[in-house]
Amino acid sequence: MFTGINSATMSKILLVEDDEIMPKIVARILPASEYELHHVSNGKEAFEKLDSTNYGYDLIITDIMMPYANGFEILSKVKNRERPIPVIIVSNAGNEDMIMEGFKLGADDFLKKPIIPAELLIRVKRLLMKNK
Amino acid sequence: MNIFRYAPLAIQLAMIFIVIATAGTLLAYFSILRSRYLGYRQDKRMSYLLPKVDNLIIEEVLTNPEVTETSYSDQLILNTEGFQELPMHKKWVREAITGRIMHFRRNVRGNMGQMLRSLYMQLDLDKDTMKKMKSGKWEKKVQALTEFINMDMSISDVTILPLTNSRNRELRAAARHAYIKLSKNEPFKFFDVVTEPLLMWDQVELFRIISSTEDIAVPNFARWITYSSNKSVVSFCLKLIVHYNQLPAVPAVIKLLDTKDHYLRANAINCLGKLRVPDVEEKLVSLYSSQPLHCQIEILKALGRISSGRYIDFLKQEFLHSTDFDLRKSAAKSLVKNEWIASQVLQELIDTANPENLRILKHCMNPLIKY
Repeated sequence: MFTGINSATMSKILLVEDDEIMPKIVARILPASEYELHHVSNGKEAFEKLDSTNYGYDLIITDIMMPYANGFEILSKVKNRERPIPVIIVSNAGNEDMIMEGFKLGADDFLKKPIIPAELLIRVKRLLMKNK
Repeated sequence: MNIFRYAPLAIQLAMIFIVIATAGTLLAYFSILRSRYLGYRQDKRMSYLLPKVDNLIIEEVLTNPEVTETSYSDQLILNTEGFQELPMHKKWVREAITGRIMHFRRNVRGNMGQMLRSLYMQLDLDKDTMKKMKSGKWEKKVQALTEFINMDMSISDVTILPLTNSRNRELRAAARHAYIKLSKNEPFKFFDVVTEPLLMWDQVELFRIISSTEDIAVPNFARWITYSSNKSVVSFCLKLIVHYNQLPAVPAVIKLLDTKDHYLRANAINCLGKLRVPDVEEKLVSLYSSQPLHCQIEILKALGRISSGRYIDFLKQEFLHSTDFDLRKSAAKSLVKNEWIASQVLQELIDTANPENLRILKHCMNPLIKY
C-alpha cells in the first residue's frame, strides 16, 4: 500500500495486477501526493479488499488474466452497484473480442500493455475528474 | 569380498545389481538435493539483487527528470553509476538485469521503453546477447533471439536467415519470429529458403507475430503463391493475402485453381471466397462437378461469401438434389447469405422442404449459430 500525506483529498485507487513490476511502475506514474494506491495481486484479494473497504475507491485499474477471478468478474461486481466505480482495464490480451467484452461489461477505458506512462496518467485524471 | 567370490553366479549378479541400483538411487537423490540447493541459492541471490535492480531502473529511467515525454533523445547518457556498484562482472547478475529490463519493457513503451533499451546498451548487455548468439547450444541461441526481439535490436539478416531452416524446431520458430520482427527490408525473405513444412502451430504463431508487428513491410504474397515449391508456405501466404486483402494477388490465386493438389486448390477457393472476387464465380461453378468433396464445399461457401446473387438456382439445385449432407448444408448457408436477392426462393424452400431439409434451413438461418 502506498499512501500520501493528506488522505482526505487524495483519490483512492485500487490496482489489481498479478505482475510484480507493474505496481512499481504505476506507483511511480501516479504521484503519491495526489493518489493513494492500494495493490492486490489477484481477483480474490480484490473482492476481499472491496468488501473490507465497502467499495470505497475512486478508481480501479485491473488486468484481465489473473488467478482466482479475472478482470471481467471484478468489473461485473463493481458495475452492478448503486454507485459504480470507474474501471480501467490494463492488459496485454488485446484481441478484439476481449476488448469488446470489457466495454460491454462497463469498462470505462482500456489500455493495452505495454503502456505509455503519460497516457495512463492522463486517462486516470480524466476519469477521476469526470466522476467527481 | 570372499562372500562375493564364493557365492553362486545368480547371487553374484544380484549383488552387483543391488550395488548399481543403490548407487543410482543415491546419485538421483544427490542430484535432486543439489538442484534444490542451487535453486535455493539462486532464489536467495535474486531476492537480494532484484529489488536493488528495480529501484535503480525506476530511479534512473522511470523518474529521470532530464527527460520529458516529448524530448527523448537517443544520445541521452543515463547515469549507470548505481549499476556499477552491483557485481556486474558476474554473468548471473548481468543476466538478471537483462531479464528485468525485458520485464519492464513488456509493461512500458514509448520514451520509457526507449530509455530502457538505451540502458541495456549502455550497460553493454547487448554484448552478452551477441555471445549467446554465437554459442553452439541451441537454447542459448533461442534466448539471444528472444532478447533481440524484446529489445528491438537490429541484427544482420545473414546471421538469422540460416537459422530459419534449422532442424531444431524451437530454434527455427524463434529465428523466424526474429527475422520478421527485426529485418527492416524483407521480413518475409525466409519464405524463399524454407524447406521444412510450416506446421499449423508455426503458422498460428507466425500469423500472430506478423499481424502484431507495427510498420511491417508487407510484400505481395503472390510471389510465393506462384514460385514457392513448399506447399505449406503457399497455404500460409493464401491466409496472409486474405488478412491483408491483397486484391492484386488474385490472378496468382486463380492460377492455383489448376493445381493437382486438391488441398491447395481448396485453400485457393477459400481465399477467393473471402476476398469476394465476383469474376471468379463462373470458373468455380464450371469446375464444381469435377472436384472432390471438400473443394465442392469450398466452392459453395465461396458463392455465399461473394453473394453476387447470380447463382441462386445453382445453390438451390445443390441443396435439393445433392446426396451429401455437408454439401446441402453449405448450399443452404450460401443461400441464406444471398437472402438480399433470394428471399422468395428461401421462403419457397421453407414451405416445400422435407423435415430434414427444413431443419438444415432453420439451422442456417439462425443468426446465433455460426457453423
